[in-house]
Amino acid sequence: MTLQTKRRITEILLFVITLLVAVIFFFPIFFNLMSAFKSNAEIMRDAIALPTSLYLDSFKYLLTETEFPRAILNSLILTVVAIVAQVLIIPMAGYAIERRNARWTRFIFVYFLAGMMIPFQAYMIPLFKELRVLGLYGGLAGPILIYVAGAVGFGCLLYTSFVKGIPREIEEAAEIDGCSRYGIFWRIVFPLLGPVTASMVVLNGLGIWNDFLMPMLVLPSGQAKTMVVEIYRYIGEFSSRWDMIFAGTALSVVPVLIVFIFLQKYFVKGIASGATKG
Amino acid sequence: MATSIVNADKSFIAREKPKKKKKKWQSYALLFILPSFLLYTLFVIVPTVGSVYLSFTSWDGISSDIRYIGFANFVEIWNSPRVHNALKNTMVMTISLVLLENIAAIAMAMMVDKVRWFRNLFRSIFYFPTLLSGIVMGFVWAMILNYNFGVFNQILSAIGLGDYIVDWLGNPKYAMLSIVLSTVWKGAGYYMIIYLAGLQGIPQELNEAASIDGAGGWQQFRHITFPLLAGSMTVCLVLSMISALKIFDQIAVMTDGGPGFETETLTYIIYKVGFGELRQGFGTALAMVLFLIILLITVIQVKVLQKREVQL
Repeated sequence: MTLQTKRRITEILLFVITLLVAVIFFFPIFFNLMSAFKSNAEIMRDAIALPTSLYLDSFKYLLTETEFPRAILNSLILTVVAIVAQVLIIPMAGYAIERRNARWTRFIFVYFLAGMMIPFQAYMIPLFKELRVLGLYGGLAGPILIYVAGAVGFGCLLYTSFVKGIPREIEEAAEIDGCSRYGIFWRIVFPLLGPVTASMVVLNGLGIWNDFLMPMLVLPSGQAKTMVVEIYRYIGEFSSRWDMIFAGTALSVVPVLIVFIFLQKYFVKGIASGATKG
Repeated sequence: MATSIVNADKSFIAREKPKKKKKKWQSYALLFILPSFLLYTLFVIVPTVGSVYLSFTSWDGISSDIRYIGFANFVEIWNSPRVHNALKNTMVMTISLVLLENIAAIAMAMMVDKVRWFRNLFRSIFYFPTLLSGIVMGFVWAMILNYNFGVFNQILSAIGLGDYIVDWLGNPKYAMLSIVLSTVWKGAGYYMIIYLAGLQGIPQELNEAASIDGAGGWQQFRHITFPLLAGSMTVCLVLSMISALKIFDQIAVMTDGGPGFETETLTYIIYKVGFGELRQGFGTALAMVLFLIILLITVIQVKVLQKREVQL
Protein backbone atom coordinates (compact mmCIF):
# COMPACT_ATOMS: atom_id res chain seq x y z
CA MET A 1 0.00 0.00 0.00
CA THR A 2 1.48 3.32 -1.00
CA LEU A 3 1.61 6.28 1.33
CA GLN A 4 -0.98 8.03 -0.84
CA THR A 5 -3.65 5.35 -0.54
CA LYS A 6 -2.91 5.06 3.17
CA ARG A 7 -3.52 8.77 3.57
CA ARG A 8 -6.66 8.50 1.48
CA ILE A 9 -8.03 5.77 3.74
CA THR A 10 -7.32 7.83 6.88
CA GLU A 11 -9.13 10.79 5.34
CA ILE A 12 -12.20 8.76 4.50
CA LEU A 13 -12.22 7.07 7.88
CA LEU A 14 -12.00 10.44 9.65
CA PHE A 15 -14.81 11.77 7.50
CA VAL A 16 -17.06 8.82 8.34
CA ILE A 17 -16.40 9.15 12.07
CA THR A 18 -17.05 12.89 12.00
CA LEU A 19 -20.23 12.35 10.02
CA LEU A 20 -21.42 9.78 12.54
CA VAL A 21 -20.80 12.11 15.49
CA ALA A 22 -22.49 14.95 13.60
CA VAL A 23 -25.58 12.79 13.00
CA ILE A 24 -25.76 11.98 16.72
CA PHE A 25 -25.33 15.68 17.49
CA PHE A 26 -27.98 16.85 15.11
CA PHE A 27 -30.50 14.17 15.98
CA PRO A 28 -32.15 15.87 19.02
CA ILE A 29 -32.79 19.03 17.02
CA PHE A 30 -34.10 17.11 14.06
CA PHE A 31 -36.27 15.03 16.41
CA ASN A 32 -37.69 18.18 17.97
CA LEU A 33 -38.56 19.86 14.68
CA MET A 34 -39.97 16.64 13.25
CA SER A 35 -42.16 15.93 16.29
CA ALA A 36 -43.67 19.41 16.13
CA PHE A 37 -45.51 18.29 12.99
CA LYS A 38 -47.00 15.18 14.56
CA SER A 39 -50.21 14.82 16.50
CA ASN A 40 -50.09 13.73 20.11
CA ALA A 41 -51.39 10.26 19.22
CA GLU A 42 -48.71 9.88 16.57
CA ILE A 43 -45.96 10.83 19.01
CA MET A 44 -47.24 8.36 21.61
CA ARG A 45 -47.62 5.56 19.08
CA ASP A 46 -44.19 5.79 17.51
CA ALA A 47 -41.86 8.58 18.60
CA ILE A 48 -39.20 7.73 16.07
CA ALA A 49 -41.37 7.60 12.94
CA LEU A 50 -41.50 10.47 10.48
CA PRO A 51 -44.71 12.54 10.51
CA THR A 52 -47.33 11.00 8.22
CA SER A 53 -48.86 14.35 7.31
CA LEU A 54 -48.09 17.99 7.94
CA TYR A 55 -49.99 18.39 11.21
CA LEU A 56 -50.21 22.08 12.09
CA ASP A 57 -52.95 22.09 14.74
CA SER A 58 -50.59 22.44 17.69
CA PHE A 59 -49.04 25.56 16.18
CA LYS A 60 -52.49 26.93 15.47
CA TYR A 61 -53.62 26.26 19.02
CA LEU A 62 -50.49 27.78 20.55
CA LEU A 63 -50.74 30.93 18.47
CA THR A 64 -54.47 31.52 18.85
CA GLU A 65 -55.63 29.98 22.11
CA THR A 66 -52.73 30.55 24.52
CA GLU A 67 -50.55 33.38 25.81
CA PHE A 68 -47.73 32.21 23.54
CA PRO A 69 -47.82 35.16 21.08
CA ARG A 70 -47.58 37.61 23.97
CA ALA A 71 -44.66 35.60 25.38
CA ILE A 72 -42.87 35.77 22.01
CA LEU A 73 -43.42 39.53 21.97
CA ASN A 74 -42.10 39.85 25.54
CA SER A 75 -38.97 37.88 24.65
CA LEU A 76 -38.40 40.10 21.63
CA ILE A 77 -38.91 43.34 23.57
CA LEU A 78 -36.65 42.22 26.41
CA THR A 79 -33.87 41.10 24.07
CA VAL A 80 -33.94 44.07 21.71
CA VAL A 81 -34.35 46.85 24.29
CA ALA A 82 -31.80 45.38 26.71
CA ILE A 83 -29.24 44.93 23.94
CA VAL A 84 -29.74 48.47 22.61
CA ALA A 85 -29.39 49.86 26.15
CA GLN A 86 -26.24 47.78 26.72
CA VAL A 87 -24.69 49.05 23.51
CA LEU A 88 -25.55 52.67 24.38
CA ILE A 89 -24.24 52.58 27.93
CA ILE A 90 -21.42 50.07 28.35
CA PRO A 91 -18.98 51.09 25.54
CA MET A 92 -18.95 54.66 26.91
CA ALA A 93 -17.87 53.39 30.30
CA GLY A 94 -15.25 51.07 28.81
CA TYR A 95 -13.87 53.91 26.68
CA ALA A 96 -13.68 56.38 29.56
CA ILE A 97 -12.05 53.83 31.87
CA GLU A 98 -9.34 53.12 29.28
CA ARG A 99 -8.67 56.69 28.21
CA ARG A 100 -9.00 58.49 31.55
CA ASN A 101 -6.42 56.47 33.38
CA ALA A 102 -6.72 57.70 36.97
CA ARG A 103 -6.85 55.98 40.33
CA TRP A 104 -10.63 56.26 40.56
CA THR A 105 -11.26 54.83 37.08
CA ARG A 106 -8.94 51.93 37.84
CA PHE A 107 -10.88 51.32 41.02
CA ILE A 108 -14.21 51.39 39.12
CA PHE A 109 -12.81 48.90 36.62
CA VAL A 110 -11.97 46.41 39.36
CA TYR A 111 -15.36 47.11 40.98
CA PHE A 112 -17.09 46.24 37.69
CA LEU A 113 -15.00 43.11 37.13
CA ALA A 114 -15.85 41.81 40.61
CA GLY A 115 -19.45 41.48 39.43
CA MET A 116 -18.46 38.83 36.90
CA MET A 117 -17.82 36.46 39.77
CA ILE A 118 -21.16 36.97 41.52
CA PRO A 119 -23.61 34.29 40.36
CA PHE A 120 -27.20 35.40 39.80
CA GLN A 121 -28.41 32.96 42.46
CA ALA A 122 -26.33 34.82 45.02
CA TYR A 123 -28.47 37.94 44.79
CA MET A 124 -31.76 36.88 43.22
CA ILE A 125 -33.78 36.83 46.44
CA PRO A 126 -33.06 40.45 47.52
CA LEU A 127 -33.29 41.56 43.88
CA PHE A 128 -36.83 40.26 43.72
CA LYS A 129 -37.65 42.30 46.83
CA GLU A 130 -35.80 45.37 45.51
CA LEU A 131 -37.88 45.48 42.33
CA ARG A 132 -41.05 45.63 44.41
CA VAL A 133 -39.63 48.45 46.55
CA LEU A 134 -38.63 50.42 43.44
CA GLY A 135 -42.05 49.88 41.87
CA LEU A 136 -40.50 48.01 38.94
CA TYR A 137 -42.22 44.71 39.62
CA GLY A 138 -44.76 43.73 36.99
CA GLY A 139 -43.34 45.38 33.88
CA LEU A 140 -40.55 44.69 31.44
CA ALA A 141 -38.45 47.67 32.61
CA GLY A 142 -37.12 45.82 35.66
CA PRO A 143 -35.72 42.82 33.76
CA ILE A 144 -34.21 45.14 31.13
CA LEU A 145 -32.33 47.14 33.77
CA ILE A 146 -31.17 43.90 35.41
CA TYR A 147 -29.81 42.62 32.07
CA VAL A 148 -27.90 45.84 31.42
CA ALA A 149 -26.47 45.86 34.94
CA GLY A 150 -25.47 42.21 34.64
CA ALA A 151 -23.54 42.86 31.40
CA VAL A 152 -21.45 45.75 32.74
CA GLY A 153 -18.52 43.67 34.02
CA PHE A 154 -17.83 41.54 30.98
CA GLY A 155 -18.77 44.36 28.58
CA CYS A 156 -16.29 46.78 30.13
CA LEU A 157 -13.58 44.14 30.01
CA LEU A 158 -14.16 43.59 26.28
CA TYR A 159 -14.44 47.28 25.40
CA THR A 160 -11.42 48.51 27.37
CA SER A 161 -9.16 45.97 25.70
CA PHE A 162 -10.45 46.98 22.25
CA VAL A 163 -10.19 50.73 22.90
CA LYS A 164 -6.51 50.15 23.72
CA GLY A 165 -5.98 49.11 20.12
CA ILE A 166 -7.40 52.32 18.67
CA PRO A 167 -4.69 54.90 17.92
CA ARG A 168 -5.05 58.06 19.96
CA GLU A 169 -3.98 60.22 17.00
CA ILE A 170 -7.38 59.83 15.37
CA GLU A 171 -9.06 61.29 18.42
CA GLU A 172 -6.49 64.07 18.74
CA ALA A 173 -7.03 65.11 15.14
CA ALA A 174 -10.77 65.33 15.70
CA GLU A 175 -10.23 67.32 18.87
CA ILE A 176 -8.13 69.89 17.00
CA ASP A 177 -10.96 70.18 14.49
CA GLY A 178 -13.19 71.16 17.39
CA CYS A 179 -15.08 67.95 18.02
CA SER A 180 -16.46 67.45 21.53
CA ARG A 181 -15.81 64.34 23.64
CA TYR A 182 -19.27 63.01 22.84
CA GLY A 183 -18.70 63.66 19.17
CA ILE A 184 -15.33 61.93 19.26
CA PHE A 185 -16.79 58.93 20.97
CA TRP A 186 -19.97 58.46 18.96
CA ARG A 187 -18.66 59.50 15.55
CA ILE A 188 -15.14 58.14 15.62
CA VAL A 189 -14.47 55.61 18.35
CA PHE A 190 -17.82 53.83 18.46
CA PRO A 191 -17.84 52.84 14.76
CA LEU A 192 -14.33 51.47 15.18
CA LEU A 193 -15.62 49.26 17.99
CA GLY A 194 -17.99 47.57 15.54
CA PRO A 195 -16.55 44.03 15.75
CA VAL A 196 -16.66 43.89 19.54
CA THR A 197 -20.17 45.37 19.54
CA ALA A 198 -21.28 42.70 17.09
CA SER A 199 -19.89 39.94 19.33
CA MET A 200 -21.54 41.45 22.37
CA VAL A 201 -24.88 41.75 20.58
CA VAL A 202 -24.97 38.13 19.43
CA LEU A 203 -23.68 36.60 22.67
CA ASN A 204 -25.71 38.70 25.12
CA GLY A 205 -28.74 38.67 22.84
CA LEU A 206 -28.69 34.90 22.87
CA GLY A 207 -28.21 34.84 26.64
CA ILE A 208 -31.24 37.06 27.17
CA TRP A 209 -33.40 35.21 24.65
CA ASN A 210 -32.62 31.91 26.41
CA ASP A 211 -32.71 33.16 29.99
CA PHE A 212 -35.07 31.29 32.27
CA LEU A 213 -34.61 31.83 36.00
CA MET A 214 -34.62 35.64 36.09
CA PRO A 215 -37.74 36.29 33.98
CA MET A 216 -39.54 33.49 35.78
CA LEU A 217 -38.86 35.12 39.14
CA VAL A 218 -39.32 38.80 38.40
CA LEU A 219 -42.24 38.81 35.96
CA PRO A 220 -45.65 38.52 37.62
CA SER A 221 -47.30 35.13 37.68
CA GLY A 222 -50.59 34.63 35.90
CA GLN A 223 -49.44 36.67 32.90
CA ALA A 224 -47.43 35.79 29.84
CA LYS A 225 -43.75 35.94 30.68
CA THR A 226 -41.12 35.02 28.09
CA MET A 227 -41.05 32.24 25.57
CA VAL A 228 -38.70 30.04 27.55
CA VAL A 229 -40.70 30.47 30.77
CA GLU A 230 -43.92 29.77 28.89
CA ILE A 231 -42.47 26.52 27.51
CA TYR A 232 -41.46 25.54 31.04
CA ARG A 233 -45.01 26.26 32.23
CA TYR A 234 -46.48 24.09 29.47
CA ILE A 235 -44.24 21.20 30.43
CA GLY A 236 -46.03 21.13 33.77
CA GLU A 237 -49.45 22.08 32.50
CA PHE A 238 -49.79 19.99 29.34
CA SER A 239 -47.75 17.08 30.62
CA SER A 240 -49.67 14.69 28.41
CA ARG A 241 -49.79 16.99 25.37
CA TRP A 242 -46.35 16.51 23.89
CA ASP A 243 -47.43 17.88 20.54
CA MET A 244 -48.00 21.31 22.14
CA ILE A 245 -44.64 21.38 23.88
CA PHE A 246 -42.81 20.21 20.78
CA ALA A 247 -44.50 22.94 18.76
CA GLY A 248 -43.53 25.52 21.38
CA THR A 249 -39.90 24.43 21.53
CA ALA A 250 -39.73 24.31 17.73
CA LEU A 251 -41.02 27.90 17.62
CA SER A 252 -38.21 28.92 19.93
CA VAL A 253 -35.51 26.98 18.06
CA VAL A 254 -36.32 28.21 14.54
CA PRO A 255 -35.50 31.94 15.10
CA VAL A 256 -32.18 30.98 16.72
CA LEU A 257 -31.43 28.68 13.79
CA ILE A 258 -32.18 31.43 11.26
CA VAL A 259 -30.15 34.09 13.08
CA PHE A 260 -27.29 31.61 13.45
CA ILE A 261 -27.21 30.78 9.75
CA PHE A 262 -26.89 34.45 8.85
CA LEU A 263 -24.60 35.66 11.63
CA GLN A 264 -22.46 32.54 12.07
CA LYS A 265 -19.11 34.27 11.85
CA TYR A 266 -20.03 36.74 14.59
CA PHE A 267 -20.93 33.94 16.98
CA VAL A 268 -17.66 32.18 16.35
CA LYS A 269 -15.61 35.37 16.54
CA GLY A 270 -17.48 36.44 19.65
CA ILE A 271 -16.58 33.26 21.48
CA ALA A 272 -12.98 33.30 20.36
CA SER A 273 -12.45 36.94 21.37
CA GLY A 274 -14.51 36.59 24.54
CA ALA A 275 -12.48 33.60 25.62
CA THR A 276 -9.08 35.15 25.08
CA LYS A 277 -10.05 38.42 26.74
CA GLY A 278 -12.03 36.85 29.55
CA MET B 1 -7.30 39.58 15.57
CA ALA B 2 -5.54 39.02 18.85
CA THR B 3 -2.08 39.73 17.49
CA SER B 4 -3.05 43.09 16.04
CA ILE B 5 -4.27 44.19 19.46
CA VAL B 6 -1.05 43.11 21.07
CA ASN B 7 1.00 45.03 18.52
CA ALA B 8 -1.07 48.17 18.80
CA ASP B 9 -0.76 47.89 22.56
CA LYS B 10 3.03 47.74 22.39
CA SER B 11 3.28 50.94 20.38
CA PHE B 12 1.57 52.78 23.21
CA ILE B 13 3.62 51.53 26.09
CA ALA B 14 6.28 54.19 25.74
CA ARG B 15 3.85 57.02 25.10
CA GLU B 16 3.21 59.45 27.96
CA LYS B 17 -0.24 60.91 28.13
CA PRO B 18 -0.19 64.68 27.62
CA LYS B 19 -0.90 66.33 30.97
CA LYS B 20 -3.43 68.89 29.73
CA LYS B 21 -5.69 66.16 28.38
CA LYS B 22 -6.51 64.99 31.86
CA LYS B 23 -8.35 68.16 32.84
CA LYS B 24 -10.52 68.05 29.74
CA TRP B 25 -11.34 64.47 30.56
CA GLN B 26 -12.43 64.99 34.15
CA SER B 27 -16.14 65.68 33.73
CA TYR B 28 -16.62 63.53 30.62
CA ALA B 29 -15.19 60.41 32.17
CA LEU B 30 -17.60 60.74 35.07
CA LEU B 31 -20.58 61.21 32.76
CA PHE B 32 -19.53 58.31 30.54
CA ILE B 33 -19.14 55.93 33.45
CA LEU B 34 -22.09 57.08 35.57
CA PRO B 35 -24.96 55.16 33.86
CA SER B 36 -23.11 51.85 34.04
CA PHE B 37 -22.02 52.56 37.59
CA LEU B 38 -25.52 53.38 38.82
CA LEU B 39 -27.21 50.37 37.19
CA TYR B 40 -24.50 47.96 38.25
CA THR B 41 -24.51 49.23 41.82
CA LEU B 42 -28.29 49.23 42.07
CA PHE B 43 -29.01 45.84 40.47
CA VAL B 44 -25.91 43.79 41.29
CA ILE B 45 -24.06 45.19 44.29
CA VAL B 46 -27.01 46.38 46.41
CA PRO B 47 -28.85 43.03 46.21
CA THR B 48 -25.60 41.15 46.86
CA VAL B 49 -25.08 43.19 50.03
CA GLY B 50 -28.74 42.53 50.81
CA SER B 51 -28.02 38.81 50.47
CA VAL B 52 -25.21 39.02 52.99
CA TYR B 53 -27.64 40.64 55.43
CA LEU B 54 -30.54 38.26 54.74
CA SER B 55 -28.31 35.23 55.21
CA PHE B 56 -28.27 36.09 58.93
CA THR B 57 -32.06 36.20 59.20
CA SER B 58 -34.94 33.75 59.27
CA TRP B 59 -36.96 35.69 56.67
CA ASP B 60 -39.65 33.71 54.84
CA GLY B 61 -39.73 36.03 51.82
CA ILE B 62 -43.22 37.40 52.34
CA SER B 63 -43.81 38.78 55.84
CA SER B 64 -42.27 42.00 57.08
CA ASP B 65 -40.86 40.06 60.03
CA ILE B 66 -37.14 39.84 59.25
CA ARG B 67 -35.53 38.44 62.37
CA TYR B 68 -31.76 38.42 62.91
CA ILE B 69 -30.64 34.95 63.97
CA GLY B 70 -26.86 35.23 63.79
CA PHE B 71 -25.04 32.26 62.32
CA ALA B 72 -27.95 29.83 62.81
CA ASN B 73 -28.44 29.37 59.03
CA PHE B 74 -24.78 28.54 58.53
CA VAL B 75 -24.83 26.12 61.45
CA GLU B 76 -27.83 24.43 59.85
CA ILE B 77 -26.01 24.24 56.49
CA TRP B 78 -23.05 22.64 58.26
CA ASN B 79 -25.31 20.00 59.84
CA SER B 80 -27.91 19.41 57.11
CA PRO B 81 -27.66 16.06 55.29
CA ARG B 82 -29.72 17.50 52.42
CA VAL B 83 -27.20 20.29 51.87
CA HIS B 84 -24.31 17.83 52.10
CA ASN B 85 -26.01 15.71 49.49
CA ALA B 86 -26.50 18.75 47.22
CA LEU B 87 -22.85 19.69 47.67
CA LYS B 88 -21.80 16.15 46.80
CA ASN B 89 -24.04 16.19 43.71
CA THR B 90 -22.64 19.57 42.69
CA MET B 91 -19.11 18.22 42.96
CA VAL B 92 -19.85 15.00 41.06
CA MET B 93 -21.63 16.96 38.35
CA THR B 94 -18.94 19.63 38.09
CA ILE B 95 -16.02 17.22 37.91
CA SER B 96 -17.65 14.91 35.39
CA LEU B 97 -18.90 17.81 33.27
CA VAL B 98 -15.52 19.55 33.19
CA LEU B 99 -13.74 16.34 32.22
CA LEU B 100 -16.22 15.08 29.64
CA GLU B 101 -16.95 18.46 28.05
CA ASN B 102 -13.27 19.20 27.56
CA ILE B 103 -12.40 15.74 26.25
CA ALA B 104 -15.33 15.88 23.83
CA ALA B 105 -14.47 19.43 22.81
CA ILE B 106 -10.83 18.59 22.06
CA ALA B 107 -11.84 15.50 20.09
CA MET B 108 -14.42 17.46 18.11
CA ALA B 109 -12.01 20.33 17.47
CA MET B 110 -9.41 17.90 16.12
CA MET B 111 -11.99 16.21 13.90
CA VAL B 112 -13.18 19.53 12.48
CA ASP B 113 -9.59 20.73 12.10
CA LYS B 114 -8.50 17.65 10.14
CA VAL B 115 -11.59 16.56 8.22
CA ARG B 116 -11.44 17.31 4.50
CA TRP B 117 -15.02 17.69 3.44
CA PHE B 118 -17.89 19.85 4.83
CA ARG B 119 -15.66 21.31 7.54
CA ASN B 120 -17.85 24.38 8.17
CA LEU B 121 -21.03 22.35 8.22
CA PHE B 122 -19.62 20.02 10.87
CA ARG B 123 -18.43 22.94 12.95
CA SER B 124 -21.90 24.47 12.82
CA ILE B 125 -23.62 21.23 13.76
CA PHE B 126 -21.36 20.70 16.78
CA TYR B 127 -21.74 24.29 17.82
CA PHE B 128 -25.49 24.78 17.32
CA PRO B 129 -26.74 23.06 20.54
CA THR B 130 -24.91 25.66 22.63
CA LEU B 131 -27.28 28.28 21.26
CA LEU B 132 -30.40 26.65 22.69
CA SER B 133 -31.86 27.44 26.08
CA GLY B 134 -31.33 24.90 28.82
CA ILE B 135 -35.10 24.57 29.18
CA VAL B 136 -35.65 23.67 25.53
CA MET B 137 -32.74 21.28 25.32
CA GLY B 138 -33.66 19.73 28.67
CA PHE B 139 -37.16 19.10 27.45
CA VAL B 140 -36.03 17.53 24.19
CA TRP B 141 -33.72 15.20 26.08
CA ALA B 142 -36.41 14.40 28.62
CA MET B 143 -38.57 13.25 25.71
CA ILE B 144 -35.78 11.25 24.10
CA LEU B 145 -34.97 9.52 27.39
CA ASN B 146 -38.59 8.97 28.48
CA TYR B 147 -39.10 5.45 29.78
CA ASN B 148 -42.37 4.62 28.03
CA PHE B 149 -42.33 6.55 24.77
CA GLY B 150 -38.76 7.79 24.48
CA VAL B 151 -36.80 7.37 21.28
CA PHE B 152 -33.67 6.19 23.05
CA ASN B 153 -35.28 3.10 24.57
CA GLN B 154 -37.01 2.42 21.25
CA ILE B 155 -33.67 2.46 19.48
CA LEU B 156 -32.18 0.17 22.12
CA SER B 157 -34.91 -2.41 21.66
CA ALA B 158 -34.77 -2.06 17.87
CA ILE B 159 -31.09 -2.93 17.76
CA GLY B 160 -31.49 -5.84 20.15
CA LEU B 161 -30.27 -4.15 23.31
CA GLY B 162 -33.69 -4.34 24.95
CA ASP B 163 -32.13 -5.62 28.18
CA TYR B 164 -30.53 -2.23 28.71
CA ILE B 165 -33.80 -0.34 28.78
CA VAL B 166 -34.09 1.61 32.00
CA ASP B 167 -35.94 4.67 33.25
CA TRP B 168 -33.11 7.08 32.49
CA LEU B 169 -34.50 10.02 34.44
CA GLY B 170 -36.59 8.24 37.04
CA ASN B 171 -33.97 5.74 38.20
CA PRO B 172 -31.63 7.20 40.85
CA LYS B 173 -28.70 5.33 39.31
CA TYR B 174 -28.99 6.94 35.90
CA ALA B 175 -30.59 10.37 36.47
CA MET B 176 -27.29 12.13 37.14
CA LEU B 177 -25.62 10.40 34.19
CA SER B 178 -28.46 11.46 31.89
CA ILE B 179 -28.18 15.10 32.94
CA VAL B 180 -24.40 15.10 32.61
CA LEU B 181 -24.38 13.50 29.14
CA SER B 182 -27.10 15.75 27.75
CA THR B 183 -25.28 18.78 29.13
CA VAL B 184 -22.09 17.62 27.42
CA TRP B 185 -24.11 17.48 24.20
CA LYS B 186 -25.27 21.03 24.81
CA GLY B 187 -22.01 22.55 26.06
CA ALA B 188 -19.08 20.90 24.30
CA GLY B 189 -19.47 22.88 21.05
CA TYR B 190 -18.69 26.12 22.82
CA TYR B 191 -15.34 24.87 24.07
CA MET B 192 -14.71 23.23 20.70
CA ILE B 193 -14.63 26.71 19.12
CA ILE B 194 -11.99 27.86 21.62
CA TYR B 195 -9.88 24.71 21.09
CA LEU B 196 -10.26 25.07 17.34
CA ALA B 197 -8.83 28.59 17.54
CA GLY B 198 -5.97 27.15 19.61
CA LEU B 199 -5.33 24.31 17.15
CA GLN B 200 -5.23 26.67 14.23
CA GLY B 201 -2.55 28.68 16.02
CA ILE B 202 -0.20 25.66 16.12
CA PRO B 203 2.34 25.91 13.28
CA GLN B 204 1.91 23.04 10.83
CA GLU B 205 5.69 22.64 10.47
CA LEU B 206 5.95 21.18 13.98
CA ASN B 207 3.75 18.21 13.11
CA GLU B 208 5.46 17.75 9.76
CA ALA B 209 8.91 17.75 11.34
CA ALA B 210 7.76 15.26 13.97
CA SER B 211 6.23 13.01 11.36
CA ILE B 212 9.50 13.02 9.37
CA ASP B 213 11.28 12.06 12.60
CA GLY B 214 8.91 9.10 12.78
CA ALA B 215 6.47 10.26 15.45
CA GLY B 216 3.05 8.62 15.15
CA GLY B 217 -0.31 10.28 15.55
CA TRP B 218 -0.58 9.67 19.27
CA GLN B 219 2.99 10.85 19.91
CA GLN B 220 2.34 14.03 17.94
CA PHE B 221 -0.78 14.67 19.96
CA ARG B 222 0.95 13.92 23.26
CA HIS B 223 4.06 16.01 22.66
CA ILE B 224 2.98 18.79 20.31
CA THR B 225 -0.76 19.40 20.18
CA PHE B 226 -1.58 18.82 23.84
CA PRO B 227 1.10 21.08 25.37
CA LEU B 228 0.43 23.83 22.84
CA LEU B 229 -3.27 23.76 23.67
CA ALA B 230 -2.49 24.63 27.30
CA GLY B 231 -3.64 28.24 26.88
CA SER B 232 -7.02 27.31 25.43
CA MET B 233 -7.35 24.57 28.00
CA THR B 234 -6.98 26.88 30.98
CA VAL B 235 -9.68 29.16 29.59
CA CYS B 236 -11.99 26.24 28.86
CA LEU B 237 -11.46 24.67 32.27
CA VAL B 238 -12.35 27.92 34.06
CA LEU B 239 -15.41 28.54 31.89
CA SER B 240 -16.71 24.98 32.01
CA MET B 241 -16.22 24.73 35.77
CA ILE B 242 -18.11 27.97 36.48
CA SER B 243 -20.97 27.04 34.15
CA ALA B 244 -21.16 23.54 35.67
CA LEU B 245 -21.42 25.04 39.16
CA LYS B 246 -24.33 27.20 38.01
CA ILE B 247 -26.25 24.49 36.15
CA PHE B 248 -29.97 24.95 36.71
CA ASP B 249 -32.32 24.88 33.70
CA GLN B 250 -31.69 21.27 32.69
CA ILE B 251 -32.33 20.03 36.21
CA ALA B 252 -35.55 22.05 36.44
CA VAL B 253 -36.95 20.40 33.30
CA MET B 254 -35.45 16.93 33.35
CA THR B 255 -35.65 15.78 36.97
CA ASP B 256 -36.72 18.66 39.23
CA GLY B 257 -33.88 17.64 41.54
CA GLY B 258 -35.13 14.05 41.79
CA PRO B 259 -35.60 11.17 41.92
CA GLY B 260 -35.56 11.80 45.65
CA PHE B 261 -32.73 14.29 45.95
CA GLU B 262 -30.42 12.51 43.52
CA THR B 263 -29.85 15.47 41.18
CA GLU B 264 -30.38 18.33 43.59
CA THR B 265 -27.41 20.68 43.26
CA LEU B 266 -26.47 23.78 45.19
CA THR B 267 -28.08 26.20 42.71
CA TYR B 268 -31.19 24.08 42.62
CA ILE B 269 -31.54 23.81 46.39
CA ILE B 270 -31.20 27.62 46.71
CA TYR B 271 -34.17 28.05 44.41
CA LYS B 272 -36.20 25.26 46.00
CA VAL B 273 -35.63 26.44 49.56
CA GLY B 274 -36.09 30.13 48.77
CA PHE B 275 -39.16 30.05 46.55
CA GLY B 276 -40.65 26.60 47.04
CA GLU B 277 -40.30 26.26 50.80
CA LEU B 278 -40.38 29.99 51.58
CA ARG B 279 -37.20 30.03 53.61
CA GLN B 280 -35.43 32.88 51.89
CA GLY B 281 -33.10 33.63 54.81
CA PHE B 282 -31.77 30.08 54.60
CA GLY B 283 -31.76 30.26 50.81
CA THR B 284 -29.55 33.36 50.78
CA ALA B 285 -27.19 31.73 53.29
CA LEU B 286 -26.82 28.85 50.80
CA ALA B 287 -26.29 31.41 48.03
CA MET B 288 -23.43 32.89 50.03
CA VAL B 289 -21.84 29.44 50.23
CA LEU B 290 -22.13 29.09 46.43
CA PHE B 291 -20.63 32.55 45.97
CA LEU B 292 -17.67 31.70 48.21
CA ILE B 293 -17.04 28.45 46.33
CA ILE B 294 -17.03 30.25 42.97
CA LEU B 295 -14.82 33.01 44.38
CA LEU B 296 -12.34 30.48 45.75
CA ILE B 297 -12.18 28.51 42.50
CA THR B 298 -11.75 31.67 40.43
CA VAL B 299 -8.92 32.95 42.63
CA ILE B 300 -7.11 29.59 42.52
CA GLN B 301 -7.52 29.34 38.75
CA VAL B 302 -6.35 32.90 38.13
CA LYS B 303 -3.24 32.06 40.17
CA VAL B 304 -2.63 28.94 38.08
CA LEU B 305 -3.27 30.91 34.91
CA GLN B 306 -0.67 33.51 35.86
CA LYS B 307 1.89 30.82 36.66
CA ARG B 308 1.38 29.32 33.21
CA GLU B 309 1.77 32.70 31.57
CA VAL B 310 5.14 33.12 33.24
CA GLN B 311 6.20 29.75 31.84
CA LEU B 312 5.13 30.74 28.36
